[in-house]
Amino acid sequence: MGESEEMVPSSGGVFTFGKTKFAENTPSKFWFKNDMPTVLSCGDEHSAVVTGNKKLYMFGSNNWGQLGLGSKSTVTKPTCVKALKPEKVKLAACGRNHTLVSTEGGKVYAAGGNNEGQLGLGDTQERSTFHLISFFTSQHKIKQLSAGSNTSAALTEDGELFMWGDNSEGQIGLKDISNVYVPQRVTVGKPISWISCGYYHSAFVTTEGKLYTFGEPESGKLGLPNQLLCNHRMPQPVPGIPEKVVQVACGGGHTVVLTEKAVYTFGLGQFGQLGLGTFLFETSVPTVIEHIKDQKIRSVSCGENQTALITDIGLMYTCGDGRHGKLGLGPENFTNQFTPTLCSHFLRFIVQLVACGGCHMLVFAIPRLGGTDEIELQK
Amino acid sequence: GSEVSEAQTTDSDDIVTPGPQKCPQAGSEKMRIEIVSLAFYPEAEVMCDENVKQVYVEYKFYDLPLSETETPVSLRKPRVGEEIHFHFSKVIDLDPVEQKGRRQFLFAMLNGQDPEQGHLKFTVVSDPLDEEKKECQEVGYAFLELWQILESGRDLVEQELDIVSPEDPATRIGRLKVSLQAAAALHAIYKEMTQVMFS
Ligand SMILES: [Mg+2]
Ligand SMILES: [Mg+2]
Repeated sequence: MGESEEMVPSSGGVFTFGKTKFAENTPSKFWFKNDMPTVLSCGDEHSAVVTGNKKLYMFGSNNWGQLGLGSKSTVTKPTCVKALKPEKVKLAACGRNHTLVSTEGGKVYAAGGNNEGQLGLGDTQERSTFHLISFFTSQHKIKQLSAGSNTSAALTEDGELFMWGDNSEGQIGLKDISNVYVPQRVTVGKPISWISCGYYHSAFVTTEGKLYTFGEPESGKLGLPNQLLCNHRMPQPVPGIPEKVVQVACGGGHTVVLTEKAVYTFGLGQFGQLGLGTFLFETSVPTVIEHIKDQKIRSVSCGENQTALITDIGLMYTCGDGRHGKLGLGPENFTNQFTPTLCSHFLRFIVQLVACGGCHMLVFAIPRLGGTDEIELQK
Repeated sequence: GSEVSEAQTTDSDDIVTPGPQKCPQAGSEKMRIEIVSLAFYPEAEVMCDENVKQVYVEYKFYDLPLSETETPVSLRKPRVGEEIHFHFSKVIDLDPVEQKGRRQFLFAMLNGQDPEQGHLKFTVVSDPLDEEKKECQEVGYAFLELWQILESGRDLVEQELDIVSPEDPATRIGRLKVSLQAAAALHAIYKEMTQVMFS
């Protein structure tokens, strides 16, 4: 890379890997003039970037209108959603084929596929522009959004969780209901601090640090012993994680859990997405990734079949399905990684944000100052 | 820095993308081979052979060192009904000037001059665990006929190949899935070499 790497401004760049639709799906990058990303999110084939100037940029596949740009054509360059410009966008979450955004004013908007009511608009009609979910008012201070295959979630600062969309597998945790077309409160009687919607399962963390999972019970991705799987339609605490849970990320068939001490994974790992080596391809037992035990992990992210971990010093490790180069480990020679592998591409950067999608990954990283010094010393 | 002025601005506001980095190679100047996955049949001897704990797959390609054409990891031997997934993909440079040898190697395969070389041969290898002091052992072969691609003009997507026993080529022990993006390159190589021959 050499020269082009030095080109990235000190405010950093967004690096694209895999089938992003950007730069003809080759590894590439872009950045903003006088602006920086604050949120990245990837759906199955589309992506969202929210910036410090409170703007929303979208690109990728658009078959369902999930980019909210008023059309259904694929967009190959990050494009500002001008309709939301007066709104000060704060958060965005891409589901498989829909998108959620929230604003400083406490509004929540949705666009894209809606066949299971995942837009929260009371019907199943898809939308190619962002529509206001009237349920949310300025009283709901949205802290986090998450979106799965046909599911949506909004978590408030007060620890209240609302979910809507597909509940065919219990993945929005409302035991006896099939689908809901407007947001519904999901509660276990304790405030919630983190939510993640996977493809057909979901997980949240309480402020006490307890992990709950619900949804499709197959292949161990709920992390629950067999006798608890009959209740998979309601959130159940996951046993076997002694310390406080901080974050959770759900992928297609796997779950990644960040605690105060370690990273645990469970579910399906046929491509290495569990990061547990070349002998264990499925487990329902939360298992520590020993391979990165020496690293202090700051955040975890899952795509359908891949996992990305950011360390406290801004290094990034990836594992799982390596197809299309989505693990960010090289431009042409792809292979599955069965243990978290350091992305050497980012040794000279501090990785700030990562988002993994179906066949792609976005990374926001700023040049590492020490790295630049090193280069100058070598001259 | 000053480089930013060379970069292109998209029509969408304030996005900067670095200019084109490198001309992508033409499809006829490279090929891509992917070892996707493998499974053994339940009745295959290898399934109950306790010496076989993990396997990898390799192939030979002209001048490329084996380290570049073998799956970088060995995976646990698949269980009954299970597939193990390597997704090991390699792009091979077939530049008409710099890689003449590789192009001739492929032409020889296509032309079937040497029956032993008419196909790309994949070898499934048992990789003993570190603590065992044993040798690697070949447990199966799979063959890919390249002329099929030339004839059909189509790349292969997750093609299933029979894995046969090294002792008895008639005994099928499993299936190896491979993908090959090579149709454009093979077409160009065949055309160029036959022109040379008859000119
Ligand atoms: Mg390429
Ligand atoms: Mg080896």
